[in-house]
Amino acid sequence: MSMLNYHHFPIYSIMVLFFGAFLIAAIGGRDIAKNRKTTGVRAFIPLLATAASLAFLIALIKPVMLGGEVIAYWMGSRGISNGYAIGIALEVDALSLFFALLIATALFVSAVYSIKYMEHDDNIGQYYILYCMLGGGVLGLVLSGDIFNMFIMVEILTFAAVALTAFRTKVYGALEAAFKYLVVGCMGSTLILTGVIMLYAQYHTLNLAQLAALIPGTMNNATKLAFALLYIGFSTKAFIVPFHPLAADAHGAAPASISVLISGVLTKSGIYGIIRLTYFLFQTMELGAMQFMLVFVGSVSMFVCVTMALAQHDFKRLLAFHSISQIGYVLAAVGLSTALGISAGLYHAMNHTLFKGLLFLAAGAVLHETGTTDLGKLGGLSKKMPHTTVLFLIGAFSISGVPPFNGFASKWMIYQATYQKAVETGNIGFLLVTIIALITSVLTLASFVKVSQSVFFGQLPAEYENVKEVPFGMRLAMGILAVLCVITGLVPQLVTRYLTEPAARAVFRVGDYISSMGFASQTPAPAVSFAQVGVWEPISWLLILCIALLAVTIVAVAGKYDRVSVRSSETVDTKYQLFYGGEDNFHSQVGGGDLFWGFKHNWRHYFSFMHDLHSGIVNDYALWAVVALALSIVFVMIVL
Amino acid sequence: MITFNYICSFFLIVLGFYTIVTKYNLVKTVIGMSVMDYGVNLLIISVGYHPGGTAPIFTQGELTAASSFVDPIPQALTLTSIVIGACVTAMSMALVIKLEESYGTLDTREIRRLRG
Amino acid sequence: MTSILLNALQYLGYILIFPGFLFCFVCGMLLCGIDRKLVARMQKRVGPPILQPFYDFFKLCGKETIIPDAASRTTFLAAPLVGLAALVVIQLFVPIHGFSAFYGMADVIVILYLLLIPALASILGAAASGSPYAGIGLSREMVTIISCELPLVLILLAIAKTVGNALGTGLCFSLSAIADYQLVHGSLITKARMIPAAIAMLLVIPGETGNHPFDAAEAETEICEGMLAEYSGGPLAVFKLSHAVKMLTLTSLFVALFLGGVGTGITAVDGVVVFILCVIVTAVSISFVHAVTARLKIEQIFKYYWTVVSGLALVSLVLAWYGL
Repeated sequence: MSMLNYHHFPIYSIMVLFFGAFLIAAIGGRDIAKNRKTTGVRAFIPLLATAASLAFLIALIKPVMLGGEVIAYWMGSRGISNGYAIGIALEVDALSLFFALLIATALFVSAVYSIKYMEHDDNIGQYYILYCMLGGGVLGLVLSGDIFNMFIMVEILTFAAVALTAFRTKVYGALEAAFKYLVVGCMGSTLILTGVIMLYAQYHTLNLAQLAALIPGTMNNATKLAFALLYIGFSTKAFIVPFHPLAADAHGAAPASISVLISGVLTKSGIYGIIRLTYFLFQTMELGAMQFMLVFVGSVSMFVCVTMALAQHDFKRLLAFHSISQIGYVLAAVGLSTALGISAGLYHAMNHTLFKGLLFLAAGAVLHETGTTDLGKLGGLSKKMPHTTVLFLIGAFSISGVPPFNGFASKWMIYQATYQKAVETGNIGFLLVTIIALITSVLTLASFVKVSQSVFFGQLPAEYENVKEVPFGMRLAMGILAVLCVITGLVPQLVTRYLTEPAARAVFRVGDYISSMGFASQTPAPAVSFAQVGVWEPISWLLILCIALLAVTIVAVAGKYDRVSVRSSETVDTKYQLFYGGEDNFHSQVGGGDLFWGFKHNWRHYFSFMHDLHSGIVNDYALWAVVALALSIVFVMIVL
Repeated sequence: MITFNYICSFFLIVLGFYTIVTKYNLVKTVIGMSVMDYGVNLLIISVGYHPGGTAPIFTQGELTAASSFVDPIPQALTLTSIVIGACVTAMSMALVIKLEESYGTLDTREIRRLRG
Repeated sequence: MTSILLNALQYLGYILIFPGFLFCFVCGMLLCGIDRKLVARMQKRVGPPILQPFYDFFKLCGKETIIPDAASRTTFLAAPLVGLAALVVIQLFVPIHGFSAFYGMADVIVILYLLLIPALASILGAAASGSPYAGIGLSREMVTIISCELPLVLILLAIAKTVGNALGTGLCFSLSAIADYQLVHGSLITKARMIPAAIAMLLVIPGETGNHPFDAAEAETEICEGMLAEYSGGPLAVFKLSHAVKMLTLTSLFVALFLGGVGTGITAVDGVVVFILCVIVTAVSISFVHAVTARLKIEQIFKYYWTVVSGLALVSLVLAWYGL
């Protein structure tokens, strides 16, 4: 095979990142302040590595997404011997590639952002080493065809993510967050390893495809236990309830460029693990109880986290809770086990990476310029940082599902999918999911109104008079994501046709996944339908809105809409001051803390209960993990 | 005999969980994580056990149909797992030291600035 | 070539004249005037002339626009315009009898979300003004939106299920399909199971438009018009117009959802019929409620919508679900 044969591209895309990490380490040097030259090189290597990685993956779209090929790649040319996979394999189907593309995009954008954002930090070399390791780990996880390698990659990415969370050790709570994440993350990794070993003990293979060929129909108590362990293990990586406090801590404390990865990339790897586990390895999604489990956990995550977010007063911590809330949407949609549901869930996963990345970067921009993310202290930044404000608003509209941005396109598919499922099965529970999803969406909007009011609008505190717009490099990174948010919202048909539907179809073609690795498969691919009941044509709508807006604006401008009388600069004209009912003009910003009092007052018992529950003590979180494990073991033993 | 290994390994894993959940000292938490790891390592090694098996090391021509040896793959896996466990312990101890420096305590009940 | 041009002209006519801007402007303002007159008569006052909203609008347009120094100029000025344009676009999607200007482009869930855009525009405009009164106002407005969202969602799902059952597809989100269904089967309000939903929708309308007693967000006696505290001149006129158009949009949405099937098939006549129905709906849901109640506190609004109104809507949804 030639070096440029696309079958090699998956391994290239992983190795280029690990090699980048090695190269940065090889350049060495700790003290950056004295050695400005190598800083540039160090920032350039991850940029190049992530760009190359992304390019390799994009080159795979044609054969895998459009051609429907499943790339099976044996490393070191050791394949199958006596019917058993003895080599280590990569296996790339449309699902893997879909997740890999999201991850590589987030990595690249975050690398662009890091150049300026991390400029003033010490030990920048170590940051980039860990950055590349993290990227390589996640890509390795989603492209791997070997379950033990999945575990190794999980460990690499957990390790790198913990270290990066604590990277700015002086940040309030960074060490604490890293430690909590490490403890519970480590429990999760251990559970994954135990599950892997129990599967190995039963089937004497670690190859995903071979396991998928062997497990269905031969399940015993040990494999069921392994399922529960793996499920909880991957849940800790996706941070779904009850692991959401860790996400909040870690996202909040990490540098913004890393929060993007934790939220856009690590959570995806958990979701990917759960999909592989339930749809491929055990093929249990035909069971109503299994669908119930995923949809239930998804809906609870979606609702609990959005209410937790409403109670937050730190910009990044609020975003972190929203992140898990959106992951709840993804999980609930994927758990429906219908073609439309999976397609919608994956679409939302993609959008989540884009808009959440954008929002975290905007939060980082605010932190970079003002030094705080406390919603109570900020205000009025839109006059000082107009571009960041616009970019933030695009992200906020996207996540709140305001048409025509991408969040709406995917949420709208999720509503249809859940309602359709409810009608098809006659189960009123799925209807409840539709309602919860719709309410969560408006609560999301509410908390972003809170952020816009308390950070970007309102009055500017005196100490931020000299705040400037962030450097171009950071705006560029945000701009890329903002453009992607708009595009993926405007052409939902193209996104579903070329990205999410091939990936969703791959989920139903377990047989192809198994047979392309060289194992016999019994499962025929079912016919899938992506038919939707609703209609939404964003481009036409936008066109009409633009015409309407143009008409209004022309009339308004012709009618001297913004006529402002000439002001003399000498005298102070009180009519341009804010209205205080005759009192003197003073600084009075309505902050984020209690903005939605009317709502929270009715739910005060719930909110104070939730506040007490998230105690911040690592033992409690560990206990939640153990309880979740116990529950899932019992549940799995009963239903499987 | 091997059943005892299995019981022991799960006992160790559960003991690790128990330690993490109930002990309020950061160092004890780290010990709990290590105990959990040892349990898993024991499990892996036991899975590869073969009654009467020898070490899976053979030179060319030595390997016959009659040779009985333990499964080599779990041994390789254990090595990996031990290395990872050591790294995790090192990292968590580093974090513990840093935490002690900035919070002045090792009690998890007092290290809870991030909550709610 | 000429046909494309003619088509474009036709659509431009839809957007600018009927059922777009001109229709919205005239009918919305008239609706607003009728509402004020009705409330006054119910309270035994004489009330302003029915054309008063027009006079107010043109007077405000002639006034100077003051932009406070603390405000973010662009957002402050753009917000009212975006809100108005978005409202007019929603009106284009609401079918009038059998006629809809833009067929098959948006369904009820989309309408639910499109309704957020005008509210969001006014919220952002208020936030951009920098006034603390506006800050409190937008907080209340957002809570009112949250309050109305749950009953509205339940109502729309109930309708989707009812129409879907009749069409045999199980569920139906399309507005035109709902209109067509009513053409054949008669208005939805004649179905016993939809009556609670219709009552709930009548109660949601004043909340969505921000009318008394659900106008905590604009309480002029306590927070100085809240979100509009800093607005003056042209932008304020546009906001007043938006409010009027919103009344028209929501009442005509009610007509399309519950009172469909009443009409002649001649679009111009149907426009008048729909407007008359809108006036009736306004009289019942906005004017009457306004005349007999006092303003609610914001936490009461929330509680009321999530218990009483949602309860009513839920009854309909459950009945529709089990096909009773």
